[in-house]
Amino acid sequence: MTESAKTNSQISAGGRFFRFVRPLVLRLLYGLVSLIFISFITFVADEVAPGDAATVRAGEKATVAQIELMRHEMGLDRPWPIRYVEFLGNAAKFDFGNSVVGTQQPVNKQLGQALPITMKIALLAILLAAIVGIFLGTVSAVYENKLADRGILSLSTLGVTIPNYVLLPILVYIFALQLNQLPTSWAPDGQRIAPDIYYLLIPVVVLALRPMATLTRLMRASMVDTLKQEFVRLSVAKGVPRWRLYSVHCFRNAIIPVLTAIGTSFGYLLTGSFVVESAYLIPGIGKVAIEAITQRDTPMILASTLVTGALFVIVNLLVDLVLPLIDPRIRESQV
Amino acid sequence: MKKLKGVSPLFWFGAGYLVLLVVFAIFGPTMRHPFDEQVSKPFLTPSSEFWLGTDEIGRDIFARLAYGARISLVIGIVVQMIAVTIGIIVGITSVYANKWISIPVQRFTDGMFAFPDLLLAIMIVGVFQMGVGPVVIGLSVTAWPAIARLVKNQVATLKDREFVVAAKAMGANTPYLVVKHILPHLWGVLLAVMMVDVAATILAESTLSFLGIGVQPPEPSWGQMIQVGNLNKNSYPLLLLWPCLMLSLTIFALNFVGDGLRAIVDPKKNQAI
Repeated sequence: MTESAKTNSQISAGGRFFRFVRPLVLRLLYGLVSLIFISFITFVADEVAPGDAATVRAGEKATVAQIELMRHEMGLDRPWPIRYVEFLGNAAKFDFGNSVVGTQQPVNKQLGQALPITMKIALLAILLAAIVGIFLGTVSAVYENKLADRGILSLSTLGVTIPNYVLLPILVYIFALQLNQLPTSWAPDGQRIAPDIYYLLIPVVVLALRPMATLTRLMRASMVDTLKQEFVRLSVAKGVPRWRLYSVHCFRNAIIPVLTAIGTSFGYLLTGSFVVESAYLIPGIGKVAIEAITQRDTPMILASTLVTGALFVIVNLLVDLVLPLIDPRIRESQV
Repeated sequence: MKKLKGVSPLFWFGAGYLVLLVVFAIFGPTMRHPFDEQVSKPFLTPSSEFWLGTDEIGRDIFARLAYGARISLVIGIVVQMIAVTIGIIVGITSVYANKWISIPVQRFTDGMFAFPDLLLAIMIVGVFQMGVGPVVIGLSVTAWPAIARLVKNQVATLKDREFVVAAKAMGANTPYLVVKHILPHLWGVLLAVMMVDVAATILAESTLSFLGIGVQPPEPSWGQMIQVGNLNKNSYPLLLLWPCLMLSLTIFALNFVGDGLRAIVDPKKNQAI
C-alpha cells in the first residue's frame, strides 16, 4: 500500500493522465486493427467467391458483354487491392455506397433504419441479463451448496445449452399461439397496436437468457471468492448488517469480472440478434445482414460486418473505461 | 478403472446416447424410407409406417433426422480435427518460437478469440456461398483460437515440469521434446475439450442452417428442419418438436461426456466450478 502511494506521489499530474489514457489509446488501436482485419477477410472472401456485385446488379438474364460493361461502369474491373483501399477510405468517411439489389438504396439509409432497433433489443437484453444474473449469482453464492444454489446452477446450465432458435419458437408457441398473450412476430411501423415493448418481450427474453446464465455463474464464482476474504469476517465481527455486507461491501469486489464479461457477452448478443431478428421478423441489422448475404449484396455485407464489429469493439472499450472508475486496483495496475 | 468410479451417471447417459446417435446416423437415413423423396402425404402424424410422421412435403421425418445427425456429426468432427491441428501448431509455436514470431501469433490468437465467433462464420459462409464446404471452412476459422489458447497454457506449464527439463538436460531437441514428452500429456484434456467444442460446432452449424445460409436443401439438417418447423408451428407443432429435441439432447450428451472426461483426466479442476 505504502509502496504504491509513494510511486503515485512521484508522478506528475500529466504523467498520471498519460498513465490513464495510454492503455485506452492502445485498446482503441487494437480495435481499429481488428476491424480492418475483419473487413479485409470479408473483402477478400468476396473477391474469391464466384460472381460479384456486377453480376448481381446486371441480373440473371444479362449477357457476358453486359456484365463486363456493368463491371467497368462500377469500377470493378480494377485490381482488388486498389478497390479495398478505396473502400477503407470511404468507410472512414462513413460512406458505404448503395445496395446493388432491389431499389439500390444507400447502405447508410438501410443501416440507419436497422441499427436503432437492434441496439434497443441488445441493450434491453443485456440490462435484463445483468440485473437477473447478478442477483441470482449473489443469491447462489450466499447459499452456496444449498438447495437454492443447486437450483440456480441447474437452470443456468439449461440457459447456456439451449440454443435461442429452439427457445424462441417454443416461447412463441406457448405465449402467442396457445395462451394468445403476446404477438407471434414483430409488426411493421403503423401496424403495431401496443407499445414496442409488447413486441420486444419474447425476443429480449430469448436473447438475454444465455448471457444471463453466464453472468449468473460468473457472479457466483466471484462472490464465493469474495466471501472468503478477511474483510468479510471483519465486517461481520463489526456488526455490519447482512444485506449491507452483501450488497455494498462484497458487491463492489465481486462485480469486476462480471463487468468485463458483460462486454464480451455483447458479442454474443450481436450474433444472437441475427437469429432472433430473422425468426421474429424484426427489421434489425441481423435480418438486414442475412438478407444481404442471401442476395449477395456486397456493399451491404461489408458495411454490416464493419458496423457490428465496431459496436463490439466500442462496447468493450466502454467497459475498459468504466472498470478503473469502479476499482482503484485496476487504476493502479495500468502502467 | 478405479478412476471411473467417481464419474457421474450423466456421463454414462451421455455416452450411451452418443453411441445410439452414431448408429442412428449410419443406418437411419436409408433404413425404412429415403430421406430426400416424397413418400407420402405431408404432415402425417406418427404411425407404424412413418415413426415420426412426415414433413411439409411428405418426406419421412425419421430418415431426415437421421441424415441431419450424420451431417451434424461429420461437420462437428471434421471442424474439430482441423481446429485441433491448427490449435496445436499455433499453441506450441507461441510457446517455443522466438518472440518475433510468438508475440504476433499470440496477439492474433487473442484477437480472434475475443471476436464473436458466429459473426465471423456468418460472414465467411455468406460470401463463399452456402453449403457444407463453406460451413466447415467458416466454423474451422472460428474454432481454432480457443484450442490454441488451451494448448499454449498447457504447454507453458508442462515446459517447466521436471521430466521435460530432465529430457532437455539429456540433450533432447525441441521437436523431439514436443512430440515425445509434451503432446502425450495433452491428448486427455484435448479430448475432453473436443467433446464440448463438437457440441458448440454442431450448434453453430444448426444456427447457420436455421438462418438459411448453412446446409442447403435438398440435404436436410436439424437447423433447417427447425426453421421449417418454426414456420409451421401453429398447424403442426411436431415438425418443430423433433429436431429441437434431437439437437438439445445431443448438446446435453456431448457436454455431459466432455465434463465426465475432464473429471477423469483432471480430477482437481472439476471441483473448481
